[in-house]
Amino acid sequence: MCIYTYLLIYIHAATSSPYHTKKSSSHFHISLSLSHTHTHTLEMESQYKVNSNGGIESGSTNTTTRVANKRNLRGWDLVLRFLALSLSLAAAVVLGVDKESTTVAMTLVPTLPAVNVPVTAKWHYLSAFVFFVVANAIACAHAAISLLLALANKGGNKGISLMIVLFDLVMVALLFSSFGAALAIGLMGYEGNSHVQWKKVCNVFDKFCNQAAAAFGLSGAATVAFFLLVVLATFNHHKKH
Amino acid sequence: MASTDTAAHSEAGKLVDKAATPSDNRGPAERAPSSRSFAAADVVLRFLLFASGVVAVVVMVTSKQTELIPIPIPPFLTPRPAKFTHSPAFIYFVAALSVAGLYGAITTLISLFALRKPASYPRFLSHFVIFDVLLLGIVAAATGTAGGVAYIGLKGNTHVQWRKICDIYGEFCRHIGASIAVSLFGSVVLALLVLLSIYSLSKRIPKHSY
Repeated sequence: MCIYTYLLIYIHAATSSPYHTKKSSSHFHISLSLSHTHTHTLEMESQYKVNSNGGIESGSTNTTTRVANKRNLRGWDLVLRFLALSLSLAAAVVLGVDKESTTVAMTLVPTLPAVNVPVTAKWHYLSAFVFFVVANAIACAHAAISLLLALANKGGNKGISLMIVLFDLVMVALLFSSFGAALAIGLMGYEGNSHVQWKKVCNVFDKFCNQAAAAFGLSGAATVAFFLLVVLATFNHHKKH
Repeated sequence: MASTDTAAHSEAGKLVDKAATPSDNRGPAERAPSSRSFAAADVVLRFLLFASGVVAVVVMVTSKQTELIPIPIPPFLTPRPAKFTHSPAFIYFVAALSVAGLYGAITTLISLFALRKPASYPRFLSHFVIFDVLLLGIVAAATGTAGGVAYIGLKGNTHVQWRKICDIYGEFCRHIGASIAVSLFGSVVLALLVLLSIYSLSKRIPKHSY
């Protein structure tokens, strides 16, 4: 929670409108920005006061309200994008360094005692894990590029924002499918499948399996972040009209 | 000949009348045709989603195949079936695609209703975009899940000694592959639906005054 507040303060300071001159008023908005509707009405009132004090005609009140509300949503957009960037990067790295070597007691000839055979599990032995790492790396790169674009796109160019939403959508599909594929193969390693005699391997490689599970959790959070980004974009469009 | 000619002429006249009357009635709402074409594309895409969901589920469910497998002790052949219920990934696939097909059927009907009243289209859109994105996630995850398991079945994996099964159960694997291809098409359709909704929502921003 502390980190979120810090990020919000940073973003509001970076994107604060010229009306928010005092630090205290900016902080007041941050503390209330958890619920959108309250912020909406409060900001409308405050903008109205500033406008009436400044002698600006009240016809421009709606425009300023809209700008403030857009800024607010834009802050959430940037936070979610940063979360998606870090989570997908962490997922790709955690699964990308996954490797375990261990020894298995194997009986080659029934009459002789069992011999210890060294076996290794690496992440790129399973094609679903390769897909997972590549998809997360692509999502991470997209999140980085779109974060830069969203920071640079202060004027609200509609073409750029539409392009970002399009690629967000592609990332949602990509991340969901890679998450499903890797989870299915991980479950197969955890449980095995008796019908086709695929034995489970997680009783041998426990550290490998735990690390893979951690990567799945991180990637799931990144997927939810991308999903929320698309929902936020549609909500934004919806709210405007 | 003459009668058919006049009939055709009057038909053409009716068509012209039909085409002319709405444009006369339209007046201030000049963006209505674009909204209408968006709604028509919406109906077509939703119907495609319904069709792909049903086809994928039917192809997956009918994929049962029984083959004679030699077992070592005692050495003779036993019939062993391959069914989609043997893998949890395929069960999830069937459930997810059924949900997608049902959702496609329901929203096709609602979208047809919205096509008759183009004014209600934006409200309809803004309610369903979020569900569309959610369904896109579910269908994409189902495609990935089934694809990951089917790839192991097709190629096998020597590192963990999972042998391939598609050399034995050829028909089963063809069914699974076709079903996954159809569900991939379904997820592309869903992505197009979301894109269409976002585009048409963002297109009508300048129309409304605040």
